[in-house]
Amino acid sequence: MKLFDVLLGRTKPVQPNLDHLFGLPGAQITLEASAGLRPTGQAGVCFKPATGQQFAETATEVEQLLDLGGDTKIHEESDSYGYRWVVIVNDDFSELINQVHVVNTTLEEHGWGPQLLCSVFSFAPIPGGAADATASTGAPKVAGTYLVYLYKRGTFYPFVPLPATEKRDSDSERLLNVTLASDLAMEPDLERWFPLWGLPVH
Amino acid sequence: MASRTRFPADRGLTARMLSTVFLLGLLYAVFVTVLFLVGLKLVFILVIAFALLFVQYFYSDRIALYSMGGKIVTREQAPQLHGVVDRLCAMADMPKPQVAIANVDMPNAFATGRDQKHAVVCVTSGILRRLDEPELEAVLAHELSHVAHRDVAVMTIASFLGILAGLLTRVLAYAGLFGGFGGNNRNQGGGGGQLALIEIGMLAFSALVYAISFVLIRTLSRYRELAADRSGAILIGQPRLLAQALVKVTGEMSRVPTRDLRAAEHFNAFFFAPAFVKGVSLSSLFSTHPTLERRLQQLTELEAQMGRAT
Repeated sequence: MKLFDVLLGRTKPVQPNLDHLFGLPGAQITLEASAGLRPTGQAGVCFKPATGQQFAETATEVEQLLDLGGDTKIHEESDSYGYRWVVIVNDDFSELINQVHVVNTTLEEHGWGPQLLCSVFSFAPIPGGAADATASTGAPKVAGTYLVYLYKRGTFYPFVPLPATEKRDSDSERLLNVTLASDLAMEPDLERWFPLWGLPVH
Repeated sequence: MASRTRFPADRGLTARMLSTVFLLGLLYAVFVTVLFLVGLKLVFILVIAFALLFVQYFYSDRIALYSMGGKIVTREQAPQLHGVVDRLCAMADMPKPQVAIANVDMPNAFATGRDQKHAVVCVTSGILRRLDEPELEAVLAHELSHVAHRDVAVMTIASFLGILAGLLTRVLAYAGLFGGFGGNNRNQGGGGGQLALIEIGMLAFSALVYAISFVLIRTLSRYRELAADRSGAILIGQPRLLAQALVKVTGEMSRVPTRDLRAAEHFNAFFFAPAFVKGVSLSSLFSTHPTLERRLQQLTELEAQMGRAT
């Protein structure tokens, strides 16, 4: 039906692939052992808000669902590109993954799956570990280490921004890509590793 | 519309432009026909025709960018523009096209390239200056939909088929006449008047085929604009923003000098909004873009649909 779609000028909204998120616990162990990184306890779900009452109601439902989980803290932010972020703070990494999944499935169940852009998991150097640059240079080498999940592709890519500039540490990203290749489906097309400057996840 | 009263000459201009496009196509067909009459063989004409198609198809991105003076910009040169395109492509799960800016004050945008791998999305500096961030995103979503729908390939092939249809009819007509003239010499007259009738009939027929294909191609173009509007609006989830951008761009379009508009007119099929304003019913049959009212109506319906329960 591909040719038919081209002839009629049609594209179907792309549904997200939510399955690969559960490869993250394995990646967490790998990152700790071979890169000296561990989760900061923050994750963000980024989506494009749609117009209308229906979407607003779904968004409220997401908040209510997440509020049930005890010591979790969530807040919402909008970025300069008009996307909304649900930022979740939870020190238990596997719980954090589940909560991200709750946001995803709630949006998807209400038919808003195509609005999902990406979710982001934040990592930081283990103090005194291999990746901790503060001990030798006095300042952190990078502004953060993130794993970005692309919903429509079902793949991950690393994003390592440098502090105070809109530049990224490509060497670290490449290294992480190789390190995680056996745990996660990494995005093979480097063109799709788009930068997320100033993202609200820390 | 205010624009029509401000530029009352637009209607004549539109008619002239239409005749130009029509004549260009006719000229193209006559050119190849003359080539044939000079003594070239049918196969050779097909070779030329396919060579032209090949060039149009494979170099559409470069031809389009060159004629509009668009320059490819890197992420460092236009980080914000790239950021918007990055995100839209991730949402639509499509490879990222190249991004270009044309230093033209006319507010417009276009997409070109035969497939997703060779696509270029170009915006003018005029549109960057006039639209705010969400509106620009809506315009880019519309252009990316053109890329996803492969509109350049479809329109190139469609317009070519029209021309080829006219061309082939004519070539066949002349081929028959040449055979007929040869026979005429041997038969010492008798069929001459009949052959002249056939000649006139074939010419009329090929002209008719061309005229019909012209209207059809324009109709197709309008349909594909509506399709791109629809997909783009759904992609950003906010049809209202695309409507807003359309109103803004169409309004601004009538305020820029006509010289720029004329220079860009032949390129309308790939534009976000047509570069000349019109409201006559005849031109709506021939125009590459649907009327603003028609486009806004569709977006309003979409907006209402999004608000309803799923």
